[in-house]
Amino acid sequence: MDSTFQNLVLGFSTVLTPTNISYSLIGCLIGTMVGVLPGVGPLAGISMLLPTTFGLDPTSAIILLAGIYYGAMYGGSTTSILMRIPGEAASVMTCIDGYAMAQKGRAGAALAISAIGSYIAGTLSVVGLMFLAPPLARLALGFGPAEYTSLLLCGLVVLSYMTGGSIIKNMAMIVLGLLLGTIGIDQMSGYFRFSYGLVALGDGIGVVPVAVGLFGISEILATAGHPDTRQVIKPTLRDLLPTGEELRDSAMPILRGTVLGFLIGIIPGSAHIISTFVSYAMERRLSKHPERFGKGAIEGVAGPESANNAASEGALVPMLALGVPTGPIPAVLLAALMVHGITPGPLFIKEQPAIFWGLIASMYVGNVVLLLLNLPLVGIFVNFLRIPYRILYPTILLFCVVGVYAVNSSLVDVGIMTAMGLLGYLLRKFDFETAPTVLGVVLAPIIEFSFRQALAMSDGSYAIFLQRPISVTFLGVGLLMMLFGLKPLIWRKGKDWRDRLTQAEKSN
Amino acid sequence: MTIDRVSGSALVLLGLFVVWERRVLPLGTHTRPGPGYFPLLLSMLLIVLGALLIFQGGSAQALRSLAWPEAPHALAILACSAFATLFLEQIGYRISMGIILGFLLGVMERLRLWLVLTLTLGLPLGTFWLFDSLLRVPLPRGAWGF
Repeated sequence: MDSTFQNLVLGFSTVLTPTNISYSLIGCLIGTMVGVLPGVGPLAGISMLLPTTFGLDPTSAIILLAGIYYGAMYGGSTTSILMRIPGEAASVMTCIDGYAMAQKGRAGAALAISAIGSYIAGTLSVVGLMFLAPPLARLALGFGPAEYTSLLLCGLVVLSYMTGGSIIKNMAMIVLGLLLGTIGIDQMSGYFRFSYGLVALGDGIGVVPVAVGLFGISEILATAGHPDTRQVIKPTLRDLLPTGEELRDSAMPILRGTVLGFLIGIIPGSAHIISTFVSYAMERRLSKHPERFGKGAIEGVAGPESANNAASEGALVPMLALGVPTGPIPAVLLAALMVHGITPGPLFIKEQPAIFWGLIASMYVGNVVLLLLNLPLVGIFVNFLRIPYRILYPTILLFCVVGVYAVNSSLVDVGIMTAMGLLGYLLRKFDFETAPTVLGVVLAPIIEFSFRQALAMSDGSYAIFLQRPISVTFLGVGLLMMLFGLKPLIWRKGKDWRDRLTQAEKSN
Repeated sequence: MTIDRVSGSALVLLGLFVVWERRVLPLGTHTRPGPGYFPLLLSMLLIVLGALLIFQGGSAQALRSLAWPEAPHALAILACSAFATLFLEQIGYRISMGIILGFLLGVMERLRLWLVLTLTLGLPLGTFWLFDSLLRVPLPRGAWGF
């Protein structure tokens, strides 16, 4: 415990410099803009803005990127409340009661409770992250190649189950991502694989062009040309004060949403989206007046918004402690850290404590900055919503090109982004999820390396994966999830939570 | 034909293509798996998943019912992205982005001339200044040094 607080003091001493506070401020501002603008989710936003961090030292770069991440997660709620358009899929549940409140003239209160809930959830989740990540990293130091392979396989199967939609399609997307991840020089033999003479492909396909293509470009391909029918409710600064009753009604949903969101966030898949569903359902179940839900119940905003923010930070636990991202956003953050020479994983916390604890401290600072910035500046953010999409999408395309090109100064990356944009567009049309592909690309080198190492260690016997208790546990969980996922294909019943998740992702 | 059957067939074909392309990579042995081992496993898995999708995809949405109202815009954006891939380094960031924005805003969206000119000049020059000059992220200048 003492060492945790000593480390935290170290983190704050790294972060609390005028320069780093400015970066946190800029990151939160840009992130909120990214979250507010339709068509630019946190994933595409972080990918596009990654080059802006190249000239910075690693700590400042992480602080800026983390600010963009929290800002984008928070910004999505603004459009949900004011326009009934979720800025990103995790804000779908906020649309229901948030917009109903806005129609009753309580938009300001909904925004304020959303900001307060996000702040409390974000801050408490950082405490969880702070205490959970270091012991998890120490535990992972004992993992061998077999355990790592099983952990990654289990993570990918859980992801395909938790993402919603058809599990077969999700698994196919993971395999596609893993195949894309095998392009380039084989780490163990030095062979060029599937590179067709392109030297630039030697290092493999980068996660940034894949993520920007599959999320950023495919989004504008799918939405450009549709008529703009946006109407924005603009709250005044005076409206932003919630009443005493609204604050009292929100207190417990915020706390419940925080715990729920953090725990769900650690699980691979669309955790931040799932956590909002579970939180909303739980609040309605626990409410003495469930009939108010859907008609402007403040609990319907407070719970899901807190859960969403807590889940975003819970997702950082496995990414930082194990080096295993649980979703596409942590995957891009992982890639961003690697660009700056930082490799998250069991040794990261031990070997680079200043950066790890700096990141933790920056989260505390980021949450305060978000709370202080977003409420007074809501009027300005609302003005961004007035920009017509026909002006917005060419600008997004420009930022996508800059963001992707600048990572390696490579036109091949811009070409990959274009190809992935087309692929992502077609995949959306054919009801496929693209998030598993991004994760597959990131994890392919790690999973292949540990798989081949495990086989080499066991003289080619696959039994190694079943002989080790940790490995067999991971495989058991993965198998269980796969069976759960396949169940609806055999027994066709009514809609379950996975169908609702798919609907939410489509409605975004 | 349903969308699941079409996509399942595409996955099977992709799997077969990878199996074919992998033939130049040594498979190795179980003890020392070679560079072709993992891609072969993955491509076989892709074929199985594609076949499963074909098998259970009879009740999915019909291919004919898919609407493509955004196709003209999508094609234009893809063409612009491809243009950037081909010409970004040859004619420079500012000129190529100016052409792309001019085309999308002026030709595709038919915005007012003053707005097209403002954005076509302002955005490439502004972002070049921000990234290249201020943040020191080098962007291509092209043959004319611009």
